[in-house]
Amino acid sequence: MKPRQYCFSLFITVTFLLLSGCASKNPLPVDHNYSSALINVPFISPRSELCGSTSIEMLSLYWQSRSSYTPRLSLRELNERTWIPDKGGTLQIELVAAARANALLAYPLEPSLDALFRELDANHPVIVLVNRGFSWYPLWHYAPVTGYDAKTQTIWMHFFDTPNEAMPLGTFAALWQRSGNWGIVLLPPEQLPASAWAKKFLSCAYDFEKIGMTKEAITAYKTALIRWPEDIGILFALGNAYYNSRQIAHAEQIYRKILDIDSTYPFALNNLADLLYRTNRSEEALRLLDTLDTNVSQDTQIQSMINATRQEIFSSKHK
Amino acid sequence: MNISKLIVSFIVSTSLFTEVLSAQMVSTEASFEHAKSVSSKEKLHQIISREDVKKEFEQMGVDSKVIQARVASMTDSEASQIAYKIDTLPAGGDAGASLVGAIVFIFIVLLITDIIGVTKVFNFTKPITNR
Repeated sequence: MKPRQYCFSLFITVTFLLLSGCASKNPLPVDHNYSSALINVPFISPRSELCGSTSIEMLSLYWQSRSSYTPRLSLRELNERTWIPDKGGTLQIELVAAARANALLAYPLEPSLDALFRELDANHPVIVLVNRGFSWYPLWHYAPVTGYDAKTQTIWMHFFDTPNEAMPLGTFAALWQRSGNWGIVLLPPEQLPASAWAKKFLSCAYDFEKIGMTKEAITAYKTALIRWPEDIGILFALGNAYYNSRQIAHAEQIYRKILDIDSTYPFALNNLADLLYRTNRSEEALRLLDTLDTNVSQDTQIQSMINATRQEIFSSKHK
Repeated sequence: MNISKLIVSFIVSTSLFTEVLSAQMVSTEASFEHAKSVSSKEKLHQIISREDVKKEFEQMGVDSKVIQARVASMTDSEASQIAYKIDTLPAGGDAGASLVGAIVFIFIVLLITDIIGVTKVFNFTKPITNR
C-alpha cells in the first residue's frame, strides 16, 4: 500500500471507530407511546460564549410570557454570575445557583429521555448540558430543549444561532449521554415539574431557604402540597419556614396539621411545644411533650432533644 | 493566614455557641437526615470552603465585584463541591474558538505521526526513521 492510501484507510478506520459509538439506533424507550411537543420559548441571539446565562434568560422570558413570574436578575447580571473566564464557560452548580437567585426553582431532571419528554409534554422547557466533542476532547454546551417529535425522531433546541434547531434524536442522545444526561427544569415556584418526586422537589425548594429566599421557598412548599397534601416532610418544612419568618399563627396551624396526620411525629411535637412556650403557653407545651413520652420513642437523639426542650420550658417557669 | 484562621474559628465558635442557646427548634435540614446533626468540624469545613471558592474564582479571572454575590447564592454543599472539584468540573460555553482548537489539535497529531513515520499526510514532513 502506498503511504497515501495507507493514510486514507487509517483515516476511514479511525473515523468509523469514533463515530460508531455515537449513533444508537433507537434511543427511545420501546414501551411508551410518545407523540410530539413544541414549546414557544423566546430565542436570544447572538449569545457569544455565554450559553449558560442565555439559556436561563430564555426560560425566564418564557415564564414571564405565560405566568406571573417576575425575574430578579437582568441578563447582564446573569452573565456576571455564571461566567468563569479561565474555564471558558459556566459550571452546572453556578447555572443552578444563578437560576435560583433569579427566583426560578431548579429541579434536576431524571437522566432519561422519558423524563425529558414528560417535561416537554407539560410545556416545561429543559436546559441540558451536552458535549459536542468527544470525552477526550470535550466541548461542553448548554441549550434549552424546546420540543420533540417521536415519529420523525427529532429534538428541537435553541442550540446555536437559529431558534428551534432540529437535531436527529440519535445524535442528541449521543451528545447528551456524554454529560451523563444532565438536565435541569427551571420553573417559577408556583409550578411543579411533571416528573417531580416529593423528596427531591422538597430539597430543591429548601435550597431557596438556605440562601435566604424564604418567600420563594414558602410558595414552592405550598405548590408541592397541592400534589402531595399529606407529605409530612413538606408540611414540616413549611411550618418551619413560617416560624422562621415570624408567621407564628401559620406555623402553629401547620404543625397541628402534621400531628393530625401523625400524632407521634416528634419533630413537629417538639417545634410546636417550642412555639407554644414562646407564645406564653408553657403548660400546654409541657402537656404536648408528655404525650410523646407515652407514645414513642427509643431513639436517644430524639429523647435528648425532647428533654432539652422540656428543660428549657421548666427552668424558665421556675425562675 | 494564622490570623484569618483565628477569625474563622472565632466565628464558628460564636455561631455554635449562639445555636446552643436556642437549640430547641428542629430545623428542616435536621429532619431530612433524621437528626444527623452537622458537627462543628463540618461547619468549619464549609466556612473555609466558601473562602476557597472565592480564592479560586479570583484566580480564574472572575470579576471581584460579583464574587461575593455568586458565593452567597450557593448552598453549603454546592460551595464545597466547587471548592474541591473546580478543576475537573465541566464548564459549558459556546466557545467558537474551540473548533479552531480542535483543527489545530488534529493538525499537530498528524504532524507528530508524520514525523515518527506512522503517517504521511503532509508533503513537507520528513520521518525521523528511514523506512
